[in-house]
Order: sequence, then C-alpha cells, then structure tokens
Amino acid sequence: MKENSLKKFLKIFDGDDDVKIRDIDCGIKLTVVCLDTMVDDKKVSDYVLQPLAYVKQAESLLEIRTKLATGSVVVKIASIASAVENFTNGYTLIFDNGECIAVDTRTTVGRGVIEPPTSMVLRGPREGFVEDIKVNLTLLRKRLKTANFKTVNLTVGKYTNTAVSVCYIDGIADKAIVERVTRQLQSVSTDGIMDSSYLARYLDTHKTALFRRIGITEKPDIAVAKMLEGRIAVICDGSPMVLTVPYLFVEDLQSPGDYYENSTMTVVSRTLRLISVLASVLLPALYVCLQVYNYQIIPLKFLVTILNASEAIPFSPMAEMLLVLIIFDILREANLRMPSAVGISLSLVGAIVLGDAAVKAGLLGAPAVMIGALSGIGLFTLPDNTLVLSLLRLIITFLGGLMGLLGVTLALMATLLYMSSLQYAKTPYLAPFAPNIPQDRQDAVGQNPVPQMTKRPRSIPTDNKTRRG
Amino acid sequence: MDKNRVGINQIALLYLLSIAGGKFLTLPSILAKDVGHDSWLVLVFGFLWDAICLCFLLWAIKLNQSGKMDLAAILNKTLSKVVTKIVMVLFFVIFIIRANILLASCYKTFAVTFDVSTNWIVFVLPIAFLSFFAIKLGFNAIARTSQLLFGIIFISVLFLVLSPVSQVKISSLLPIGEAGWGKIIGDSFLRGFWFSDYLFVYFVWDSIKVKNNKVYAPIMLGFAVGVALTVCMNAVFVALYGSMASEFDLAMSKIGVYFVSNSSNGRWDWLTLSIWLTSVFLKIIVFIFCAYRSLEKLFEFNPNKLNVVALIFIALTLMLPMLISSETVLLTVVAWGLIPFAFVQYALPISLPFLTKLANKKTETVKNE
Repeated sequence: MKENSLKKFLKIFDGDDDVKIRDIDCGIKLTVVCLDTMVDDKKVSDYVLQPLAYVKQAESLLEIRTKLATGSVVVKIASIASAVENFTNGYTLIFDNGECIAVDTRTTVGRGVIEPPTSMVLRGPREGFVEDIKVNLTLLRKRLKTANFKTVNLTVGKYTNTAVSVCYIDGIADKAIVERVTRQLQSVSTDGIMDSSYLARYLDTHKTALFRRIGITEKPDIAVAKMLEGRIAVICDGSPMVLTVPYLFVEDLQSPGDYYENSTMTVVSRTLRLISVLASVLLPALYVCLQVYNYQIIPLKFLVTILNASEAIPFSPMAEMLLVLIIFDILREANLRMPSAVGISLSLVGAIVLGDAAVKAGLLGAPAVMIGALSGIGLFTLPDNTLVLSLLRLIITFLGGLMGLLGVTLALMATLLYMSSLQYAKTPYLAPFAPNIPQDRQDAVGQNPVPQMTKRPRSIPTDNKTRRG
Repeated sequence: MDKNRVGINQIALLYLLSIAGGKFLTLPSILAKDVGHDSWLVLVFGFLWDAICLCFLLWAIKLNQSGKMDLAAILNKTLSKVVTKIVMVLFFVIFIIRANILLASCYKTFAVTFDVSTNWIVFVLPIAFLSFFAIKLGFNAIARTSQLLFGIIFISVLFLVLSPVSQVKISSLLPIGEAGWGKIIGDSFLRGFWFSDYLFVYFVWDSIKVKNNKVYAPIMLGFAVGVALTVCMNAVFVALYGSMASEFDLAMSKIGVYFVSNSSNGRWDWLTLSIWLTSVFLKIIVFIFCAYRSLEKLFEFNPNKLNVVALIFIALTLMLPMLISSETVLLTVVAWGLIPFAFVQYALPISLPFLTKLANKKTETVKNE
C-alpha cells in the first residue's frame, strides 16, 4: 500500500457517517477506522483500543500486529480493495503511513439457533442454520471435529461482497466437483447475493431445468450427513439455507426425521410419500380422462356416484378439474403471502367455504373438489418440487382431457425422458433407479438399517467409497 | 458426456421391452391366418434365427470395445462408402415402416378399444414430437426411461398373460405342427420383418458401455424373458380364441376381456393395457431415433446438433398411412423388400464380427504406419 492509502481509503467512504475514525499516538501515529454498524464495540475496545492505549512506545505496525492487537484474527492488508472488503465485513483497520492491518471485530447480531420451520422433526437434533455464516460454520464444525473438514472461502457480489464458503470433507468429496463448484462461484458476476438460492442459479447452469438440481437444507445434521456421503455444502452469508451438491430426486422423498426412526417405519413413510406424489400428479388427469373417454374402467358403483355428483355441473370434466386445481394453487400462493397470524385460519376457511359453496351452488362436483384437495395436499410430501409438480399436474390433466389415456401416457413419458436426461457433475438425477444402481437403494425409497450401510452412494462421485469395514 | 452412452444392462432391458412391445397387436392374428393354432411355433423359430444372429452381434460388440467405432465407420473401412449409404437407406426404410405399422396398430387400439377416435395427424404428431424430444435428449435418456418403466410394464404384461390362464384350453394348441413344419419354418422367414428387435443396437454401437467384459449374460437373459413372454402370450391368445384368433387383429386388447369376471368391477384390464402400451411407444421412439441416426450417417450431418430438416422429413414419412394402409404396406413393400431387409436383419449381424475385426486391423495398420 502507498503512503496516501488512508486518504484514498477515506475518500471511498466520503459522506458515510457510519465510518468512525480515531487517531492514536503510541510512539507512532496510528489511525483506527471502523464501520460503526458492522463492528462489535466491545471487541473494538478489547482487541484494538485498550491494547493500543496502554502502549507508550511502539516501533512499527508489525509490532502492533504481532504483540499488541489481541483479536483472534489480525491480517495484513495489501491493497485498498482488500481493505474495503474487510472493512465492510466488520473488521477494524489500523493505518500507519502506507501500512494497514485489519482486526476481526465483526458483530454477531442475528437470531439465535432455533429449530428450522421448514424441517421440523419429532426425534433428532433441532438446531437449524441461521443467517450468520460464522455460526453456520460453527454448527458444521461441532459435528465434524476432524482436520479433513475443509472450507474454501470466497466473496461474491460486486456491492454485497457476500461471504460464501464451499465446505467438503477431504478424502471423501470428489476434488473435481469441489473445483467445479468453486470455479462456478468464483465466476459469478453480479451486483449482489441476497440468499443462497441466488447461488443455486449460478451452480445449475441448465437453462431449462424444471426440477431443482441443487439440494437445500436448514439443518446442520443433514448437511453433515450429506457431506459424509461425498456431497459438497455451500454456505452463503445472510442465508439460513445451505446448498448441497450433487442432488438426487430421491433426496426429496427423504425427510430429516427418517434417519432417527426405525428403518421399517422409514420405508413405510417413504413409500406413502411416493404413492401420494404419484397420485397427486396423476389422479386429476385420470379422473378427467376416465370420465370423458374411458368410463368403462371405473367400477359401476363409483361411476354412478360420480355421474350423480357431476350431472348438474355446467363445466366439462376437464374445465371443472382445472378450475379446482387452479383455485387450490391460488389458495396456496395466497397463504404463503398472508401474515402467519391470519394465514392458516384464513386459508382453511377459504378452502372450506369456497369448496363447500362451489359444490352447493352446483358449480363444482364434490368428487372433483375432493380429488383436487387430495392431490394438492399430496404434493407437499415432496417439498422441494411442489411447484413443478403442480405445474406438471395441470399439464397432464389438460392433455388427459384432450387426448385421454394417450395424452396422460405421452405426457408422463416426456416427463420421465426429461428427468432421465438430467445430471449434475456425473450424477444422474434419477439415480439409483435410472440408471439402476442396486447398492444405492440401501437409502432411496427403502432404507437399510444404518449399521448395514457400509458403502457410500455410488451415484455420487467420491474419493472414498467405503464408510467402514 | 456422450448423450447416447448406454450400458449393457440397459440395452438388455430395452431389448426385452422391444420384443414384448408391439408383437401383441396385429402379429398374432396374421400368424393365425398363416398357420392356425401353430402360430406360436412361428414365433419360436423366428426367435431362433434372432438368437443365432444375436450371438454374432454380441461377439461383435465385444470386439468393438477396443476400437469403439460406429457401424458406419466399420462399413466404410471394410466395404465401401457406397455400401454404407445403401445400408443406411435400408435401415431408414425398415425403421420408418416398422414405426408406421406400430403407429397404425396403436391408432386402431385407441380408436377401437379406448373410443378415442381422432384423425391420423392429431394422433401421430404428439408421438412424433415425443420421439424428437427423445432424440434431442439422447439414447441415454431413452434407456433410463425404459429402466424406470420396466417394472410396471413387466407386471402389467404378466398380469395380462396370467389373468385368462384359467380359461385356456391347452388342447386347442394340439396337435403341434399341424400346419406342417416346412410351412411353419417358411413363415418364420416370411414374417421376419417383425423380428430382429436388436437392430437398434447398431445405432448406439460406439456408445455401448461394457463392464467386466460381460456382454452375453444380460442380453441373452433379456432376450430369453422377452421370448418367453411373447410366445406365452401368443399361445394363450390362440388357445383362447381358437379358429377365431385370425379375426381379432388387436390381440392384446382382446386377451384382457377374460380378466373381467364381473362388468360392474370396471375394465381394470384397460389400465394394464395402457401401461403395456408405453412399451409400444418406447419401441416407436427407438425406431424413430434409429431412423434419424441412419439419416445422420447417410447425409453426414452434425451429430451434436438436431437437424430440423431430417425431423420434418421423418414427420412427413409418418404420414404415409394416410395414403397407403398398413395392410397394403405389409403385402407390398415388406414383401418386395424381404431379401434386402434380410441382409441388414440377418446377414449383417452374422458378418459384423469379421467386419469389426477387419476394421480394427486396418486402424492398427494405419496407426503403426
């Protein structure tokens, strides 16, 4: 750094009242600069000001760096850009002529570690990630007390300078994927990163990817379990959502609680989830196409009930079903944006009143409302892909109404073809079913007891395939 | 990654589905017309010729693992460019005719069984678009989709074969060989157009991934299961309908009638039938994929970019049944093309190991020089 670097530095922050400057004479004339809202006053006092105040004859900034500044992290700054980055992150800078050091005095303002609202469990750890990257890294380190736990720290965003950490377990994670993820994040050129989901869009470069190919979790135990399988975690400052790559479709079937339950119960739960998702996507379409084209497939008693209920409906079965599904989607979307205090009750009242009124008014048939509601609820068993599946359900229902079983079959095949073609870093999205990898079925829909899972998943590239044994 | 890359197990599954998908529609009634209740024997002999060719084909796959050349490259190196082009034209014609005949059978199934009467263009275009989508995604996606669907298709086929078993009179199949063995064997050659489901392998020739040199076991197993299902289905059909079998040209939808004991339970067999139809669609997709690839080799266009002109041309050829019925095609084009088609169906796989060896040798010689 040059002699006039302090002037240059202060010029950058000219007009910012948040910048605090203090001159101290301790043998050499020092200027201490910090960003009031980003630093912890106590840390500034304990790690910087107090040690300097007691010194009478310091000889150089090097001496202050090595002997006096008591912060746990004290770094030498080499450029103005680096000074700005550290400064905006909450470091306190100490200038002496052309030299500068930064002391870590970052504030830890943020919410405490609580159970994440998106992944509640009956049994198992209840800690969840928060918005502070340091806390999140601590939560991972608490569970991975090994020197093999590695992090690559990056800064992303021209204005936000968001701290991002790529975390992996050395010796398990595939180095090529670590390099790929790091390279992709380094090449991100954007004004700012508000959340890890921004990064997910840069990691998943597939232009038309409908399905999520980057995993997200709010729970450190899940992130660690995935890292132990060879995946890589990406933590973004300001986001409680940690990304994991590579990601498989089958992960969406797995709930955090599955690993803390009896494996037989887990198999039952996962099978139920799979059935409910298939039913959610296909039931409305089958209802429409069987009613319109192939009513012979429906048992007579059912058929009579359905016909009685839908006799007076002024819409075609396809229009009726699409209406129900769209209403359900509107209710769900509204519920997401309503204040939580009124959200649940209003959406319940909305659903009951709307559905009941529509049936009583003869606008919609009771079977259609029931199937729509069942299908809507069933989709939430795959929380990561609810929106895509909802869209898919509408398309398949439309094609079923238009072309009957042919439309449903073709739409389903197109979806499967598309999903089969997806992959991220040599990891097929539909593994272990397509391609068939029998070993990985130990934890897919079925689940072997943990002691029997001696190998890591083959579908995820790793440097070490054996867990134990 | 090569988007057409395919594992040997995936080929085995797709082959099994290809054998079972498509032979349960019009073929049983055609064979019943030819040889009566001995039609299942025609299938046995037809598959026997397939088995012999398949052994040579698998040997060639093994030999090709070192060089990894595609079929066109092997033919170019050993025969000539002109022969390669002729072979590709033959392949294109075979696949388009097969796709058209299957499409016509499906069209009839939907119109007659499922009461979905529409015009040919509206029926074919969605299937063509699905096939083009599959071509864009690559053979790997087709193979993986077949893996996903395999279980459910297999169960539905088993269901359809086993459901009418209690009604079957084995005596209807006796005496065996009544039509005359010469006629039965001759018919298996005459109806050879319906066999050789392994032809698709030629078009992923250089992308086959073989693990531990295991080639024969998985594919032969797939072949054996496919043959067993097809022969059983045909035998059950003939045993159920006897002399009337030749009158029902949609065997699969007729066989399911016996599944329904009480009409008030609904025609659940139709659901299994529509699941089985996905294997027919898969077969159509594979045929259109191969037709596209043969055009790709014929005109040597960029394999990494979808050629829209070729797709439009294929779509237009799929409209042929609007001008000429599938029965006429079977009686004329297929009859005329019996010998040229036999060349790519039977002669090519038998000679392929030797051609592959020769091509590998030539490559080695060029490398050494």
